[in-house]
Amino acid sequence: MADDSLVIYEEEIQQLESLISKMLKGCEAKCALLVDKDGHLITRQGFTHSLDTTALAALLAGSFASTKEIARLVGEPEFSILFHQGKKDNIHMSLVGDRSILVVIFDDRTTIGMVRLYARETSVELTKIFEQIKENPKGGASTAISDDFANMAQDKLDDIFQD
Amino acid sequence: MVSINYSSREVCCKIVYYGPGLSGKTTNLQYVHAKIPGTTRGDLISLATEADRTLYFDFLPINIGTINGFAAKFQLYTVPGQVYYNATRKLVLRGVDGVVFVADAQPDKMDENIDSLANLDENLAEYGYDLKSMPFVLQYNKCDLPNVMTLEQMDAKLNPTGVPSFMSSATEGTGVFDTLKMIIKLVLDKAKSGGGPARPNASAASAPSPGSSVSASSSAAPAQSVASAPTATSVATPPQQPDAPEVVREEVHQVGTPASAGTPVSAGTPVSAGTPASAVESAPVSEPASEPEQYRPYPGSQSQKIDVKDKKITPAAFTPAGDNIDSETPLEKKVVSEDTTGETSETDSLKSPIMAPSLKKTAPRKKRGFLKRLFGVR
Ligand SMILES: Nc1nc2c(ncn2[C@@H]2O[C@H](COP(=O)(O)OP(=O)(O)OP(=O)(O)O)[C@@H](O)[C@H]2O)c(=O)[nH]1
Ligand SMILES: [Mg+2]
Repeated sequence: MADDSLVIYEEEIQQLESLISKMLKGCEAKCALLVDKDGHLITRQGFTHSLDTTALAALLAGSFASTKEIARLVGEPEFSILFHQGKKDNIHMSLVGDRSILVVIFDDRTTIGMVRLYARETSVELTKIFEQIKENPKGGASTAISDDFANMAQDKLDDIFQD
Repeated sequence: MVSINYSSREVCCKIVYYGPGLSGKTTNLQYVHAKIPGTTRGDLISLATEADRTLYFDFLPINIGTINGFAAKFQLYTVPGQVYYNATRKLVLRGVDGVVFVADAQPDKMDENIDSLANLDENLAEYGYDLKSMPFVLQYNKCDLPNVMTLEQMDAKLNPTGVPSFMSSATEGTGVFDTLKMIIKLVLDKAKSGGGPARPNASAASAPSPGSSVSASSSAAPAQSVASAPTATSVATPPQQPDAPEVVREEVHQVGTPASAGTPVSAGTPVSAGTPASAVESAPVSEPASEPEQYRPYPGSQSQKIDVKDKKITPAAFTPAGDNIDSETPLEKKVVSEDTTGETSETDSLKSPIMAPSLKKTAPRKKRGFLKRLFGVR
């Protein structure tokens, strides 16, 4: 179970990104992140430049995970949507398939209803892409983790850790 | 779960520091954060109590550089060690690629170490993971204190399978990097053997190489001559650079206990017709007081709006790629109907609803059971 790495290729990312950017235009949200439940950022769209998206991804996944656990404890299978309301910015999170979370950040230029609507429709499409990824593992692609990857990483670490 | 992204060309692995309360897990991350170059790490984020005990996790992303065209990234997490926090501790293990167990080498802490190790095994098992096939390193911490147990004594108690183990002092830095280097090595070795070249994401990947096969119990390296206990707090904050995840900001977010952290949001804020009555009214994700800037994606007044100027937004106009959206029901209508499926009154009575229920079939009857369970009302 720990071995089913998430491997995503360029073209799949492009598909995911075009869906998400279409959604952003449609609902006039500021930006969106696609995060896997383990806290890795899969991709982001919109005005994310001033955001620490790495940290956000980890925290959002943590938040989703704890909410899910709360759901279990009170007898709900899963809360599929989570919404944080702020003074200016709001965050809408929804499940995509069984493994990812679509996070939309928006302000008063749009409404939660709008965001929810678009996010839900987009989730359906995103889920299809993830299913595609699962079903059709690409053969023969150059693998990221080559034989000498670990050794080279050790060399890098020696550089970083000397002080 | 190692994540490999061929688009952003990065490999990302999750490493969790586990162990009993006060054993020094957070201190390990603080040391790494303080000692490695700013270009190789992000912020250290600590979800901690007022008393600096880990409440949910600490998080430190590091990027060791590009290897064969791929950025090698590691996300270091700690768990809360206190027995009481098992629910959140377990959540942090989700998708873990490697575990560092930080034990306290003081003799009177041995029972806690043993309990925590057993708890790790249990919690991993709940995800279907097995410690025997998990990249795993033991660290015996606080070796700077007098009368601590030796590496051999600790191994005898905690390390029956002979995984790599190190004496350490997280405050002084002894053994901290050795531990991290070793776990990274084991994680990458396993990732390599786990995902074959031909089918990198085949879930039926080849048998995992037992992480425990490495049996080199090396002793700790001599202390890197390091100044006294570096805590990662309060380093100066340079201006935020507009260049997300690689960007490194020299600061530590300390998010307090839930009670103290958030700005409560008034429930009366008008949102829209479509607002589910039960939406989560939670504190904003950002820390409003300290850094409102960071979460303003439109810097200054020059907001670049997406090209929507005069466009009238009609939900029905939106059809995401693919055409099998239920075209018989107008989208708008669907939403409205869902919003009226009885979510409102029930949850309104919950003065501050904590979470949004699933959109699907939230039958009022079930809600009552929900309240009963939540408050013990009969
Ligand atoms: N003498 C000594 N003290 C240490 C060492 N490592 C950590 N400490 C101290 O032990 C205390 C607890 O350290 P933390 O890193 O917060 O412990 P933790 O494992 O994160 O604890 P929880 O968050 O409750 O699980 C702090 O006061 C540290 O300064 C060490 O190597 N030597
Ligand atoms: Mg801690």
